Amino acid sequence: MKRAPIVMGATALGLVAVLSFHTKPASLTLGAVPPTTVPPTTVPRSSSGTSSSPPPATTSPSSPPPPSSSTTAPSTTAPTARRAVGEAVNYNYGILSVAVTVQGRTITHVGIASLDDGGNFRSQSIDQQSIPILEQQAMQAQSANIQGVSGASYTSAGFAQSLQSALGKVGL
Amino acid sequence: MGTVVVLELYTVPEQAGLTELLSRACARLHEADDVFSTWQEASPMSRLRRGDITLEQAPPEIARVLERCEMARTLTHGWFDPWAMPGGVDPTGLVKGWAAERALEVLRAPTVIGAMVNAAGDIAAFGGPSTSAPFRVGIVDPAERGQLACVVQLAGAIATSGTYERGAHLVDPHTGRGAARLASASVCGPDLGLADAFATALAVAGQPGLAFVEAAEGYEALAIGHDGRWQWTPGFPFAPPSPVPPDRPARMSPA
Repeated sequence: MKRAPIVMGATALGLVAVLSFHTKPASLTLGAVPPTTVPPTTVPRSSSGTSSSPPPATTSPSSPPPPSSSTTAPSTTAPTARRAVGEAVNYNYGILSVAVTVQGRTITHVGIASLDDGGNFRSQSIDQQSIPILEQQAMQAQSANIQGVSGASYTSAGFAQSLQSALGKVGL
Repeated sequence: MGTVVVLELYTVPEQAGLTELLSRACARLHEADDVFSTWQEASPMSRLRRGDITLEQAPPEIARVLERCEMARTLTHGWFDPWAMPGGVDPTGLVKGWAAERALEVLRAPTVIGAMVNAAGDIAAFGGPSTSAPFRVGIVDPAERGQLACVVQLAGAIATSGTYERGAHLVDPHTGRGAARLASASVCGPDLGLADAFATALAVAGQPGLAFVEAAEGYEALAIGHDGRWQWTPGFPFAPPSPVPPDRPARMSPA
């Protein structure tokens, strides 16, 4: 069955309207596609991404496995890790860009590449609370096959946009 | 309002005219903001609150929204009460969902399989990511905000209200003071405006509020207490296969 492409737009009520449109391949299923042999754009730093194990056969709300502490030195049989940074986007409290690391068609890590919130204390506390959560949510979204999160922070739109941009740069 | 809204469409491939659809949906959101924003001094809502204009002189949407607020106040036994706010009536808790539903209407084109309008975690939706599946939405775990508490299947809208997101902003209309008897309250139902109002009311009222949600046809709720305890209405749409994680206490029926 053909999966539909996704078109996404975002706007900010009361703030500058941002309209951006992306299409992406419908599926990012683990292990579904043989890895491409694209050399890495940057050498990934040791990261706390989850290991690229297949998702559980049944979806459950249990917490994901704890991050592995090993450095990312791919074995000869593992797909090459590729990393890209998405475009810098405005979010409510400043400018951020998202970095994504993929192996094959698997996202192994999502993080903030740059964050400029003007050093404002209030935005700093929100960023500290929200950004790590968005990183986790991006990971969880992949493994639980969900299309949205309720109760999420309002910084998510900027994050999603930059993540989309980063995924585009690694060909996903 | 300072709310970031994300719109997502799932369509048949190579569908033309999607930019136009999204633009029109966004325009509806901005129109609602221009009328209802209490942050804009010159908005009709602000002028109404100040007494510069009467309800009859205001745009008709305001009267429509206030009628819905009355209905929500009745259905929640006063736990949702926009008239109990300082500064005059403030329907903001319901307007966000109302505006999102209006934007969603625009997206009902023949080739759109599914669409979601996500206003900072309150979501109005129809259809799904494919013709054979509904949308699956995770609910943030209030105790562990990097994790999901559970996943639900959407048949319409979901709204979540809680104290963890921006601090204690929930007000008890009966006392005028801040109150949040639940860590998180999620309500699913056909209309996001009403789900928003129910979720807000439930977060303030606590577990007894599950009764007024259950009494409203088509609406279901999940309440997560500060002690981590879960309670939900019988029809709450947990996504299969299992709604109860191993370490959660057994479910309890609402009073």
